Amino acid sequence: MRELRELAARLLEANDVQVVIGWEEWGRGVRPAFARTLAEADRLVFDQRCVHNLATYLHPRRKHIRRLGRPAVVVKGCDARAAAGLIRDNQLRREDVVLIGVRCPGMWVEGGAEGLPGDRKWADRCVSCPQRTPTLCDHLVGEDGPEPDGPGLEAQVERLQALPMAERWAFWSSAFERCVRCYACREVCPLCFCDRCLADKSVPQWIESSPHQRGNVAWHLARALHLAGRCVGCGECERACPAGIPLSILNARLQQSVRERFEFVASDDPSVPSPIGQFRVDDGQEFIR
Amino acid sequence: MTVISEADLQGLAADLLAAGSTVWGPARVPGTSRPGVEYRPLREAAELDLNAGLPLLPLKRVFLPPTEPLFWWERTAAEVRLVPPAPPSGRVVVIGARPCDAAGADAMDRVMGWGCRDELWFARREAATLVTVACERPADEACFCAEVGLGPSHPRGSDLLLVARPGGYAVEEITEKGRALVAAYPHRFREDERATLDELTAAEGPARIDLAAVQRWLSDHFDDETWNEIALRCHGCGACASVCPACHCFDIVDEPDSLLAGTRRRNWDSCQASRFTVHASGHNPREGQHARVRQRVMHKFQVFPKRFGRVLCTGCGRCTRACPAGQDLFETLTLVSARALETP
Repeated sequence: MRELRELAARLLEANDVQVVIGWEEWGRGVRPAFARTLAEADRLVFDQRCVHNLATYLHPRRKHIRRLGRPAVVVKGCDARAAAGLIRDNQLRREDVVLIGVRCPGMWVEGGAEGLPGDRKWADRCVSCPQRTPTLCDHLVGEDGPEPDGPGLEAQVERLQALPMAERWAFWSSAFERCVRCYACREVCPLCFCDRCLADKSVPQWIESSPHQRGNVAWHLARALHLAGRCVGCGECERACPAGIPLSILNARLQQSVRERFEFVASDDPSVPSPIGQFRVDDGQEFIR
Repeated sequence: MTVISEADLQGLAADLLAAGSTVWGPARVPGTSRPGVEYRPLREAAELDLNAGLPLLPLKRVFLPPTEPLFWWERTAAEVRLVPPAPPSGRVVVIGARPCDAAGADAMDRVMGWGCRDELWFARREAATLVTVACERPADEACFCAEVGLGPSHPRGSDLLLVARPGGYAVEEITEKGRALVAAYPHRFREDERATLDELTAAEGPARIDLAAVQRWLSDHFDDETWNEIALRCHGCGACASVCPACHCFDIVDEPDSLLAGTRRRNWDSCQASRFTVHASGHNPREGQHARVRQRVMHKFQVFPKRFGRVLCTGCGRCTRACPAGQDLFETLTLVSARALETP
């Protein structure tokens, strides 16, 4: 903690950055904080509660953050992958941000497993995290923690995949039925950076905005597909969803497909082009027959 | 006074279902990433779960569904034919509403009956009987109903108010509708002279916010650095509006079924969405996130009380619980209240 606070203070003092985006304590845990003074830098925290992906604040759409000046952002492994995604998709220039990497110990969420204090369990996504310690960073702080364990997200994907198609459809139909189309999933997603989302276009209306079955299925399939090969598995969409739709399962399955078909994993190396962002003559194109 | 046992309350739900009523209540939902209950139309009485706290999604969907048809249209050579939806029919009983939800519906009555009467809303309101269960304690530290003129056992908006006692509930009849429900199912209720309504709102301590001062400060601080500061962490995701028992903004869309026929629907909408106020010209009067955050606070604590004499917030704390970025409405109100009292 001291290491992080001192680094934040140094960056601000040297005027290398004008704001350090990290986390602070508040009444209900921790939340995003925007440290612009040394006193604010001294209140930054990092621990297993810091689930938020702060790379979302680097969106070109976040004009109110850009106005603060050049930012430093504290990134876990998944957050660094999101920052890399923004750079890969030409939404962020590497030199416009200072990335403070933290050796991520894995996040804890509510759910009550044995072994962790306060009825907590490892977040499902952290169990199968491909890279907890970021390589895309200018500084690296914190200490390694033990390997997160538990059933994890991949077990959930497998369990669902093992069901007959009709039962999978029933699972997702009942999940999407609860969607009220607030688009919280989209707004918190670090990779949903379109200035005008397909779902907001009304001439023509590509996707019906009504939260009925037709509209909801269309929205959720479009959202998932637009993130294929771009989703970094940070789980923010699912965390933000007021209806509790298990979007992480859908995202994880999509990334599996991308891995199998295009040998691509959304890593934190922005120089590796994404399947959607490149042309390859050896592309199988097996979906066009 | 009148009492009902836990078993009889579930029995009442079963009686109502057997009689063809729609019964809503808090129930567990499978396949969700959020543990807890949601208000659902019950398939059977056993689904009713009154001990799992406050549902995150509010009760308003009973009266204002997330989407509903306003009418169907069909174009013929001679005319455009409009077919209104069938009026909501049949009795609806909500068992296990919380006081903040009941009060939310009552607040929305003001606006739905203001200027013109929203027929779909009031048809649903009139068809429904609200059996509310008083909260024994705040759901968590996000609750602040007592700070907005309500409380864990406030009767506003309820038809019957149930207050927990060992083995069941004391029943307070608030409205004629509530009395009629008790009269229709007398075998489920009984009289118990020993039962009294406990004073649940006692020992709340002094109020932490001054709503009149908040309203005054808001009137004078449309442009203020506070809004920029509060808006920093906001993603504009609108989860706060979706979970609010009093937010009621909607969008109206036409969905064609063919070239000649279609449906006009109204859908939930949110002032936190960046495109909510975009004009046809392209101009957006609420361009920045600070303007949208400000709008939410202004509408609830300045505009609405000015017009209707009370705030558009029932202190349920759902917006704070739902916010993925840790935005805290009560913290904002406390801040504003303190600033207002510093600078009279």
